[in-house]
Amino acid sequence: MLSPYRVIDLTDERGLLAGQMLADLGADVIQVEPPDGSTGRGVAPFFAQYPDESIYWAAYTRGKRGLTCDLEDARGRDLFVRLLETADFLIESSDVGRMADLGLDYETLHEQFPQLIYTSISAFGQTGPKAHYVGSDLAIWAAGTPLLMTGDDDRPPIRVSQPQAWGHASGDAAGGCMLALHARHQTGRGQQVDISAQVSAAQATLGQVLAYQIGASEPERYAGGVKARGIGFRVSAEVDNGHIVLNMAPGPAVGHFANHAVQWLVDIGAADPALLEENFRTYADRVASGDADPEIFPRIQQTMMAEVAKRTKEEMLEISIKYDLLLVPVLTVVDLAESRQLEARQFWQEIDGDGSRQVTYPGPPLKIFVDGEPRPNNKRPPPRLGQHNDEIYAELGLAQSDLAMLRSEGVI
Amino acid sequence: MTEMNGLPEGEGPLAGVNVLDLSWIVAGPTVGRALADVGATVIRVESPIRVDTARVVGPFHGDLPGVENSGLYGNVNAGKWGLTLSLNVPEAQDIFRRLVQWADIVSESFTAGILARWNLDYSQLRKLKPDLIMLSSTLLGQTGPYKQVSGFGSQGAGMSGVQHLTGWPDRAPAGPFGPYTDYPAPRFALTALLAALDHRNRTGQGVFIDQSQAEGTLQLLAPALIDYLNGGPALEARANDDPQMCPHGVYPCRPPKDRKESWLALAVANDKQWGSLAALIGADSALPFAARVGHQAEIDEAISRWTVQRNADDVESILQAVGISAHRLASTEDAAHDPQLAHRNHFRRLSHALHGETVVEGPRYILSDSDVGPTRTAPQYGEHNEQILRDVLGLSDGEIQNLAATGALS
Repeated sequence: MLSPYRVIDLTDERGLLAGQMLADLGADVIQVEPPDGSTGRGVAPFFAQYPDESIYWAAYTRGKRGLTCDLEDARGRDLFVRLLETADFLIESSDVGRMADLGLDYETLHEQFPQLIYTSISAFGQTGPKAHYVGSDLAIWAAGTPLLMTGDDDRPPIRVSQPQAWGHASGDAAGGCMLALHARHQTGRGQQVDISAQVSAAQATLGQVLAYQIGASEPERYAGGVKARGIGFRVSAEVDNGHIVLNMAPGPAVGHFANHAVQWLVDIGAADPALLEENFRTYADRVASGDADPEIFPRIQQTMMAEVAKRTKEEMLEISIKYDLLLVPVLTVVDLAESRQLEARQFWQEIDGDGSRQVTYPGPPLKIFVDGEPRPNNKRPPPRLGQHNDEIYAELGLAQSDLAMLRSEGVI
Repeated sequence: MTEMNGLPEGEGPLAGVNVLDLSWIVAGPTVGRALADVGATVIRVESPIRVDTARVVGPFHGDLPGVENSGLYGNVNAGKWGLTLSLNVPEAQDIFRRLVQWADIVSESFTAGILARWNLDYSQLRKLKPDLIMLSSTLLGQTGPYKQVSGFGSQGAGMSGVQHLTGWPDRAPAGPFGPYTDYPAPRFALTALLAALDHRNRTGQGVFIDQSQAEGTLQLLAPALIDYLNGGPALEARANDDPQMCPHGVYPCRPPKDRKESWLALAVANDKQWGSLAALIGADSALPFAARVGHQAEIDEAISRWTVQRNADDVESILQAVGISAHRLASTEDAAHDPQLAHRNHFRRLSHALHGETVVEGPRYILSDSDVGPTRTAPQYGEHNEQILRDVLGLSDGEIQNLAATGALS
């Protein structure tokens, strides 16, 4: 869909996903690295069979072409500017101020290329009192507020074990690129898109980031659930071979799922059929008015926990589908790799790399049909260092002899 | 038929683009909200019977639960026009079909198969409007054996692996805060919808997007998944440990008078940063990474002894001044007073018919040349029913009354 457009992707480990999202939608994305390689190539984990090769890098450069160019060198910058002449988007994630030091800041490039869309990803944004703060996944998660809400209440708050903050910011960067493209269709001009990972992280709070400002109490962390207005609401339960997530509560929005759970408990003989008369969508109101027994729901909940504890994650998922419960297994990485759902949707994709190497990757984030036809996956393997230098520089009009010299002098 | 004036057009890059938003809770509505922010005219179709969960989970204005009090609902629906439709009523389905003709984009998040029951799924709507762009967003996608798993996002955290990967190694998973799949999913959907719109404008071709919110979230776990799928270990929850940074964690600080606790996030990325930290806390500045990992417990204790005597703001400033990534764990009160978020004008005050004023988040990007953001609060139940039926579809007052009598609107 984005095949008319070219993206120059200057990001490192802080922004690689943005360009990949555009590559998965059909854009020609050129990942630009220094001649000695991006710092993204040093981010864990590393392939079991190829311990020098970063899985992180591979994960988020799949689908892109690769180019090396030394921006510290005037000749490298000159080549880079020639490359920008062919580009619709530049995405970068360097420390705030570094692009200006290189003479490649938005103001300078906008003057030269008024149509260029210039997207910057940083921890806190390009300007402001914290613009020069040193960012990290953990600090961003802290600044955006989700960190304080997450974890066991008797221990320090915790993050997600696979770092998330830059991924959220990169997602916003890709969306911002597209908005600026539509603006360009209106005005003919490119503009700067300034992404703050702190702001992106605030989305991971279910709107709770607003709590103080609308007069609501602060959310509190609560393992295996959420706690709001002082009331803990557990959604995690133990089963025979792991855990499930189970939302079972009375109320107008989810009470019918509790009704369904009662039906299951009655069917297996674990609950009194008389309980089928109870409607948990209206239960809370009736308890408040004294028309329902406040002990009924906690008892049902206890029965439910006892019954799920006897079963496996897989059994409970089948029951959940049959009875329409708000219940799913807590999948591990191994479970995901073996998921019937992901297999049926052909989510995993094998991509051929060099020689006999074949690597299994997650597929694109969406299944997209254009005019009724499925779009094919972008199955370009992650680029080796400088893999596409020859073809891209040739396209810019550089002769083989120029390339050889630039290479020997370490510019590309 | 009365004259169709349309709804007042928005301003911004998507001015003139019409969106019919049938989605609910968070993942789908967040996409419609982003489109409304940039000038699209977004009609939010809501069931008058089945309460949107976003309306009944907090944060609530003044901590008072109520379907018009939810800050979450307000945040993900600001700037939209509200119409109530009971889609199981044939007359409502007819109105819906007419609105599809008006729309450039339809966004929905019903359980897979529900729209087909009413002949309102993409395969049918495409016949009415071949260049329609449609997003169907569910927990696990439109196909596959588990496509009908009812999912609010908390289920998504379980089904996407994030629940399992947020916790302490010696305990049951704690899980992330809330419905995690709702956070990454809108980014993928928004980007693809805008690409589809660009494609349609150039080619006239319609686009259908089948979103599994879990598959979107798995993009953010890709390194762990690729590792296991290609012969490596399966990642397990490791609290705040990091494979390449040490020390790396959350440390206690001296709480302000009115709080029970206060914490600092600290990430030491290299030997130089460690040297700076070690000088502050009185530790051995020459310890290389492997040695720091080997003495992690002692180092964490030394850091805690130093941080617990200080307030988090001071520690944050001291550490940032020497080039170490640190930030206090912001509460929502802290976020309200964060000078950086204020600098970005992130929190937007909007006048609200019931609450006088409400606060919503601004867009998640600053566009240097386009002033974008919400201009109106989220609609109350059926707030714009008459305006939409009259000005968009051209129904007369009598026709609107007849329609209401069928139960289509209530």
